[in-house]
Amino acid sequence: MIRPAANSLLRRLARRAGGFVSRHAQNVGTALVQVWANKGRSILTTLGIIIAVTSTITVVALVQGFGNHMTKMVRGYGTQFMVVHPWDPSVRDRHGIGRVSMTIDDIEAVRTECQHVRRITPFVFTENAEIAYGPEKAKDIPCRGVTEEYQIIRNFPVDTGRFFGPIDVENAAPVIVLGRSLLKHLQCDESIVGRYVFLDGERFLVVGLLQPKGSMFGEDQDETVMIPYSVAVKLYPNLRRSIPFLVEASSEQDLEQAQGEIARVLRRRHALKAGQPDDFRIDRQDQAVREFENIRNIASGVLAGIVSISLLVGGIGIMNIMLVSVTERTREIGLRKSIGGRRRDIMMQFLTEAVVLCTLGGAVGVVLGYALCYLAALHPQMVEISVPAWAVALALVSSAGAGVVFGIIPAFKAAILHPIEALRHE
Amino acid sequence: MTAEHENNGRPLIELTEIEKIYRVGTELVHALRGVSLSIGENEYLAIMGPSGSGKSTLMNILGCLDVPTSGKYELRGQDVSKLSQSKLARIRGRQIGFVFQTFELLPRTTALKNVQLPLMYAQVPNKRQLAVSALQRVGLLDRAAHRPNQLSGGQKQRVAIARALAQQPDIILADEPTGNLDSRTGDEIMAVFDSLHAEGQTIIVVTHEEDIAARCRRIIRLRDGLIASDERRHPVSSVLSPRHAPARDLVNAT
Repeated sequence: MIRPAANSLLRRLARRAGGFVSRHAQNVGTALVQVWANKGRSILTTLGIIIAVTSTITVVALVQGFGNHMTKMVRGYGTQFMVVHPWDPSVRDRHGIGRVSMTIDDIEAVRTECQHVRRITPFVFTENAEIAYGPEKAKDIPCRGVTEEYQIIRNFPVDTGRFFGPIDVENAAPVIVLGRSLLKHLQCDESIVGRYVFLDGERFLVVGLLQPKGSMFGEDQDETVMIPYSVAVKLYPNLRRSIPFLVEASSEQDLEQAQGEIARVLRRRHALKAGQPDDFRIDRQDQAVREFENIRNIASGVLAGIVSISLLVGGIGIMNIMLVSVTERTREIGLRKSIGGRRRDIMMQFLTEAVVLCTLGGAVGVVLGYALCYLAALHPQMVEISVPAWAVALALVSSAGAGVVFGIIPAFKAAILHPIEALRHE
Repeated sequence: MTAEHENNGRPLIELTEIEKIYRVGTELVHALRGVSLSIGENEYLAIMGPSGSGKSTLMNILGCLDVPTSGKYELRGQDVSKLSQSKLARIRGRQIGFVFQTFELLPRTTALKNVQLPLMYAQVPNKRQLAVSALQRVGLLDRAAHRPNQLSGGQKQRVAIARALAQQPDIILADEPTGNLDSRTGDEIMAVFDSLHAEGQTIIVVTHEEDIAARCRRIIRLRDGLIASDERRHPVSSVLSPRHAPARDLVNAT
């Protein structure tokens, strides 16, 4: 009993939907014919929209490109680790002087007591070590005294030989791992592995070469050497009482907790009273990433503002030309009404036309944006830029939206025309 | 269907005391002052009258482009004098086919697409088929793919007639259909109307040309918003072409 009724209802709905679709397809067709018939005018009219979309696409792609580049650089450092320095809160830039101290015992305490710390390494760092290999000398080489865990925390793979191991660290073995740039400085090749070099006068066995990393922030990452920290503190005894360390949290989510644990352990060990400031500083890399992300968001916000203004300007142009079009085609409107077009049909027709015009403008803008990005990418020092899909979608949707908003008034004007007056219009 | 309605004895169109008052500035203009008229199925009617007589107003009301200020208009038994704009549009789309003096074809649109236009609004299936058969009836099927600027005046008007025919309307309302055509082409157009009438179509022609009106079976003359005369006549024999109109008028007058 109910089935046939439901069936016929469905059929009617389907027919309605079909009619809806076909009428809209027809509207789009009519709109395209109109746009094509007035090519020059259409281009001039949509210029505002074209420019708005072109600039959005280009700037979004550039901001994204630079943002990605930055993020990648920071991520290259690793985001799961923190650097803990001794830090005198009252005086800037006075590391390891006076009571501010950080010792191997502090580091051991952090290692054993903090649950969310997975890896930890002291970081005995000197910026101007001198390395000699036969007659060749390399000066002002950064030297890092670390444990084998440093290799994992900071991701320094070795491609020739090996990194030093826990036994080397424990025994304070005089072994050294060289960065690639050292080969150039020392005028030698990979055969240096297994031979001896002199680091600030002490003899070290070269056990491995680091894989090249390139430069980051203008700093050659391959110009470095690494030795066990236990050797470093012997070689540079003045650094012994103020040793920064690197910590890797058990996961990126645990960074916060790990930071809290470390702070608690160090405050207790340094006998800081409540209310006293920390005598150390914990730097997290993920904060830097977040800051970049912030900058990117701000840039996007500013961009959105600019784009909405230019869309507004472009939209007013669209409204103007649509009003002209309605006036020009008054007789056509009258005819359409006389052969059965209802107000809403006329309204939809002109609204569709405005939307089609704007969307075409948006599409042209997208193409131009791509072209500009392509041109920009030709610059040799350009970062990798790609137009994000969401920017394209946003550009098209917002230009279509501008069509709706600014097409409403002309479409309404067309819809409410009286058929007789419209037909009589000269 | 036609026969059925005729058997019922109800006219296709029934106007009762139609009045139309326009306000022009502060003045009220009585365009129609109480017109009563009934039009049956398959009539071939001319509405004549000098300008200002109200013939355009009457045509607009008959075509559901406008509603009367007072009075009743029944189209196929339905009172259409108080309908909303959107319902009127629906009736125009389904029951009335307009033919205008200036054709009003959409430029840059093929003849076939022009004929399909009312079908699009009426949301009927087989649009193409109906449009093709309408073009066939006016003998322009071979011009289906032509655009208006590729057609002669007479051809344009025939496309317009096909458009009016497409949704198989109850009445065709032609407003000065030959006004923009030379007399020979006008004759051709009237021949199209003649044959449509012969096929059973109801046709109302608004004109000020006696020759044109002479081809109709009934002539209504308006004066000052009232029907001045309503004469039914026998079909004019095809021997009497418009060129002989004065003579024919003489015959009719006696």
